[in-house]
Amino acid sequence: MTRLLRTALAILVVLALWEAAARAGVLGGRVVPAPSGILFDWWTQRADYALHIAATAKAAALGFLIGNGVAILCAVLFILAPSIERLSRGVTITLFAVPAITIGQVLVVAYDGIVPQVALSAICVYFPTMVATLIGLREIDPRASDVVRVYGGDSLCILRYVRLRAALPGLLAGLKVAAPAALLGAILAEFGSGSRWGLGTFLLGSLGQANAARLWGIGLSATAVAALGYAIFALGARRVLGATLSVTLAANSAPDRLGSYRLGRPGQRVLMAIGALALPFVVWWAAPRILGLNPIIARDPIDTFHYLALDNGAATARAALLSALSSTLPAAGLGLLLGLAAAFLLASLSVLRPELARLLLPPSLVLQTMPLVALTPMIVLIFGRDLAAMLAVTITVVFFPAYVTLAQGFSLTPPAALDVVRCYGDRPVKSLLLVSVPFSLPYVFAAARLVAPRALLGAMIAEFLATGTGLGQLLNASRGQLDYGMIWATAFASVVVAILAYQAVGLVERLATSGRES
Amino acid sequence: MGADPGRALIASPSNGSSSPATAALAPTVDVLVDHVEKSFVANGGKVVTALDKVSTTILRGEFVALIGPSGCGKSTLLRLIAGLDEPTEGMVRVRSESPKTFCARGELGIVFQDPALLPWRSVRHNVALPLEVLGRPVKPAAAHIQSLIEMVGLKGFEDALPGQLSGGMRQRVAIARALVTNPSLILLDEPFGALDQILRRTMNLELQRIWLRELTTTLLVTHAIEEAVFLADRVIVMQANPGRIVEEVIIPFPRPRDESLFSDPKFHQRCDRLASLLHGGEEH
Repeated sequence: MTRLLRTALAILVVLALWEAAARAGVLGGRVVPAPSGILFDWWTQRADYALHIAATAKAAALGFLIGNGVAILCAVLFILAPSIERLSRGVTITLFAVPAITIGQVLVVAYDGIVPQVALSAICVYFPTMVATLIGLREIDPRASDVVRVYGGDSLCILRYVRLRAALPGLLAGLKVAAPAALLGAILAEFGSGSRWGLGTFLLGSLGQANAARLWGIGLSATAVAALGYAIFALGARRVLGATLSVTLAANSAPDRLGSYRLGRPGQRVLMAIGALALPFVVWWAAPRILGLNPIIARDPIDTFHYLALDNGAATARAALLSALSSTLPAAGLGLLLGLAAAFLLASLSVLRPELARLLLPPSLVLQTMPLVALTPMIVLIFGRDLAAMLAVTITVVFFPAYVTLAQGFSLTPPAALDVVRCYGDRPVKSLLLVSVPFSLPYVFAAARLVAPRALLGAMIAEFLATGTGLGQLLNASRGQLDYGMIWATAFASVVVAILAYQAVGLVERLATSGRES
Repeated sequence: MGADPGRALIASPSNGSSSPATAALAPTVDVLVDHVEKSFVANGGKVVTALDKVSTTILRGEFVALIGPSGCGKSTLLRLIAGLDEPTEGMVRVRSESPKTFCARGELGIVFQDPALLPWRSVRHNVALPLEVLGRPVKPAAAHIQSLIEMVGLKGFEDALPGQLSGGMRQRVAIARALVTNPSLILLDEPFGALDQILRRTMNLELQRIWLRELTTTLLVTHAIEEAVFLADRVIVMQANPGRIVEEVIIPFPRPRDESLFSDPKFHQRCDRLASLLHGGEEH
């Protein structure tokens, strides 16, 4: 209770300081308005806010239910039939790495009404929940399943008595991460949809008005809804488990933790790998046909190949795509590196000064789930509409999840290893360099894999909303010009880039940690 | 059970040992291990032979201990008898049936080094788990479960969760769970390996007390020589590379054996003999 009181007091103090600074004109009223100003604007527009929030929340909730239902069923299916999990790994990694904004633009041109929002929410939710549930289902006490088998229990029996309940903390941790992701999906699918209500629509409409209080109000509203969803499942997880910190790792993990076992003979494995690589394309080719979409709008892999390689305008299309890529990738890459470096530095400092971790970790846990769209308008106000804004968005979306992962990695350093160093004199910096940093190396790569796709998404959102350059702009413009071929080509290129970045991190990790026991 | 010919023959040579009259009665074989081979494919694609043509039998009512250095395949052999793995070659029969069929009737109880309790189930519900897996009603067994919990000395902890118990207490829950179906064969895979020496002795005494009530056929896998000699009627010694049986030693001490046996010179003689067998037959 006293902790709650202290937190409330701290928030009040921060708000008071913010108010005073804004009134004194230190922050520049057009960039960071006073809290009272934001609240006043919110109050006068409360009827509109309520409608916008309700529209987005409704779509997000529907997508949350559908996506999580599918995710849980898939996790159970994957545990009962590991070869299906193996085959669909390409699809899983694609769903993890794809920048949600590109699917949003594709969905928006294909469907009307609430469908794109619900679908994108469901897609955003699928990965965190599926992985967290799958890891929970898989990482059980092997002796406990032996006990069930000794009484003739089959795999369904093990699922019922051991796995399902063992996966509950992981599932809740997944849902905790999924709740803000659902909101992000719902907002991103409002861009370009022309829907009347929704926080995304509201944001797009207010961006041109230079009304700082309004933009902050929208951002804070989206954050509040996301934080509410996060908090509901965080409290649930705490009830089930008693520990909140240790379970966030499973939900935040990149797909590498999926496969810790080997399956079949080498030949079989190669076939599986080829199947896993081909399946995303098969899904891309088959899904529009099954859903009965207009082939003019829904371009399949063959159409996209024609568009980029064989058609009349192929050279122009390729040039446009390459120029967009060359504008987006350096910014996204730089933001990724800077964000990771900052997270690593602060996480290392937290080892030397534990009170720093106590101060930084709780807000980081919440901020890592903050919908990045909510962030962008504030950053645009502060940094303007050029490269600095893009970098700021990318660094921010990279920093918080990376910091949380790294802080956990550092905290898992075996105490005995630290004690060995301490026996030769208390040298914190030495023990940091000799023990903590090498031990946390796998977490550095886990963090890099986790945030690499987010960096691309952040950069694209910043381009879409603020700078008007790169892939984000190309998507936005081609939707406006009804250039469906380009929308699909851009989506394809961004997915390929994200997956390549993801695989590159994996390659560096294998080189850096080869010979270590996993 | 007391008139069991197999037990009379093997376990109690002290009261008349192998007189022709008792030897003529064919002892009932509970576990038959016949030329069993088990090999694994290691990470590099190399084939490792965990068990090489192993044959032995366990008679009804016998308490057999299986000792050997790590890697000798003693736990592998136990898993084959439990039907948790299949042999590469050869045959395992429990009461003339395949281990899987035998187990599916709830005739087997097993305890591992790790108690393997489900952390979200109370002591009572952990003990009841085998009944649920077998699809048997739990409610009518409530009194039986209660008596088992009391027998392993956990009265008052029926509703405690495993996380609230000490290591020794958790292992007692696992023992009660292994007994809940009134099994006719009990397998113990280093059940006290994680406990300290003092607690281990206490648990050995208790295990003997529990075993003497029903005289259920029992196979104990352990790497502690003293534990094997104290508890078993017969000790099977295994060696590694490849895993094989090198010797079987009868332990003739009368039952019930009490703590004083641990300081008996004869007890140490047996232990020393086993130790020399384990070290490859060198003279001690």
